[in-house]
Amino acid sequence: MKAQLARIMHESITPPLPASVPQPAARVVGVSKRFGKTSVLENISFDVAEGEALVLLGASGSGKTTILRIIAGLEQPYTGKIMLHGREVTELPARERGVGVIFQSYALFPKMTVEKNIGYGLRIRRRRRKEIKNTVNELLSLVQLEEHRKKYPSQLSGGQQQRVAIARTLAYNPEVLLFDEPFGALDAQTRVHLRREIRALLKKVNVPAIFITHDQEEALELGDRIAVINVGHIEQIGTPREVYNNPATEYVATFLGAANILEGTITRGHVVVGSAQMPAHLPDDRFHEGQAVKLIFRPEDVLLSKTQEFPVGHACLSSGVVEEISFVGAYERLRIRLEASGGACETSDQPYYLTTETPERQTAKPVIATRPKPETNAFRLHAGDRVFLGLSSFTILPNDARTSAASQPIINPAKQ
Amino acid sequence: MRHVRGFDVVRPLSIWMLIFTMMPLVFLPLASIFIFGTSSGLGNFWSALMAPEAVFALKLSMVTSFWATTFNVLFGLFAAYVLSRYNFLGRNALIVTISLPTAIPTAVAGFALLLLWGPYGTLGRFLRPQGIQVMFTAGAIVLANIFVTFPLAFGVIKPVFDTMSRSLEEASATIGATRWQTFWHVTLPSLRGAIVSGALLTFARAVGEFGSTILVSGNLAGRTQTAPLYIFAKFNEGQIEAANAIAIVLALFSFLIFSVLFFARDWLDVD
Repeated sequence: MKAQLARIMHESITPPLPASVPQPAARVVGVSKRFGKTSVLENISFDVAEGEALVLLGASGSGKTTILRIIAGLEQPYTGKIMLHGREVTELPARERGVGVIFQSYALFPKMTVEKNIGYGLRIRRRRRKEIKNTVNELLSLVQLEEHRKKYPSQLSGGQQQRVAIARTLAYNPEVLLFDEPFGALDAQTRVHLRREIRALLKKVNVPAIFITHDQEEALELGDRIAVINVGHIEQIGTPREVYNNPATEYVATFLGAANILEGTITRGHVVVGSAQMPAHLPDDRFHEGQAVKLIFRPEDVLLSKTQEFPVGHACLSSGVVEEISFVGAYERLRIRLEASGGACETSDQPYYLTTETPERQTAKPVIATRPKPETNAFRLHAGDRVFLGLSSFTILPNDARTSAASQPIINPAKQ
Repeated sequence: MRHVRGFDVVRPLSIWMLIFTMMPLVFLPLASIFIFGTSSGLGNFWSALMAPEAVFALKLSMVTSFWATTFNVLFGLFAAYVLSRYNFLGRNALIVTISLPTAIPTAVAGFALLLLWGPYGTLGRFLRPQGIQVMFTAGAIVLANIFVTFPLAFGVIKPVFDTMSRSLEEASATIGATRWQTFWHVTLPSLRGAIVSGALLTFARAVGEFGSTILVSGNLAGRTQTAPLYIFAKFNEGQIEAANAIAIVLALFSFLIFSVLFFARDWLDVD
């Protein structure tokens, strides 16, 4: 009763979809979930378009599996609703939703052969024997398991079992495919291989899919879009490029790849970090003079130079001293300590600002930079060398934990 | 003890000790049944076995055990499903209660049934005016068998239920199956081994039941006398050959059931 009331109240405040957007394959609208008194999901909303692959990325315990189970009908939301191709299914039991779930353990029926497993959905729908046989044959060839049709699940490898699990759901034309940590049970090499296979398979069958994973590399490779989930709410949702290059929150920046985070303030259109300062084009409505901000940039966005001269599209941050260089195979990783004073870049068009508001300790925080091989070879660096740091791309976020979820200030000098 | 290289003395010693201990306790009593039963010739054994009362007793034992087994397997399946799938207040108390009958002396079980269903029992006194008599019939034997073998099938099936992955049933549901279809196509096949072993155990135990049946059946030859009661009655009458013939059949029968349980266990829990 309470849940229903809350749901009704919620519906009224849910903004309607813009008319131009085509009907999404799946919609999650304002879903929240509680187990007892603990809230595990708060107002989760997202759409999955036809043929799209959406990845829900989050640490374990972030609530991502609960979202999946709610869409599948294995769990009831406290508020909110689930729509599949425009049909509301919130109150429908799992078996009437027509979603395909690929469980982490695959959940293949151990006493059925591969073909029986695949045909199960059609058998319980009482389809004609010939139709079942044809569909099973088509799916067996789609997932390339023809020669294993008479085997039992225990006789198959992990990857083969997963393909059976996918074929088993495709048999009844699911509205959406839900993958629960699909590669969690596999070793690293198989994992990479399989996710490419699945990506190709999904493009072929054109069924919308929602993946759940805690592996950022997997998320970037599998998803057309990624939703980053943190303690029960969506931090950011966007294409892999958007989420990686323009993280909306500090959590997103650090969860997806490595990030350097420096605290600074806004002073006359500049971000000032210690004695260093960078010109930044800030939207007036989000930032004001003297505001505390965070400057976020990725190690690979740092360009190192002996001089203050940087190619177009790079902003000079500061000078620093190389503390440590480590070789990590494909690239070189450097730890650089920014110079506390006098390290600021001089810019021809900007006057030099000396600030005292920003904490000096920020400059004592080391910055991590990575350099690819060609750069390493062209310009050798050793511990103790003094270098200038240029940034090809960075993000400025208000330094306020409370507003982090809603912020979207992206400043990218490379694009300007 | 002196050690001979490559020869472990403890091994043959312990094996022989095991056999030696079992000799007077198990092997010899069993052997004596066979030796005595066939000592006066197989012809006598056969005619003792074919005596109408003997045949009736064996048949009655089989039929009553069959119904008790059928009931207890179905009930055990249901109880195991409920108690492993749902968590509720008093669940553990129910599990203990179901397991209780194994710990109660069978004579007490029979006595309890008499107090309930007997002509002057708690329920029986209301049934008697309607002309319904429960005790001293084949039905009473089935009731007694159900009571004493109650937890056996449940005890075998429940652990299998507990270890069965929930995601199998959830997968079946998302594929579109009803609860019944899921149970029939997914859950039940995984329980096949447990059901067969549970049934065999229950049946073997029910066929041999004596303590409770002698109280509730009335022990009427040719009407409510089961095979163990027949052995007891014939022994009391001094007809040792008659008692012995049935004893051989029952001993062979249990031997057969436990051989199946032991040697077919690979088949019973194939994955």
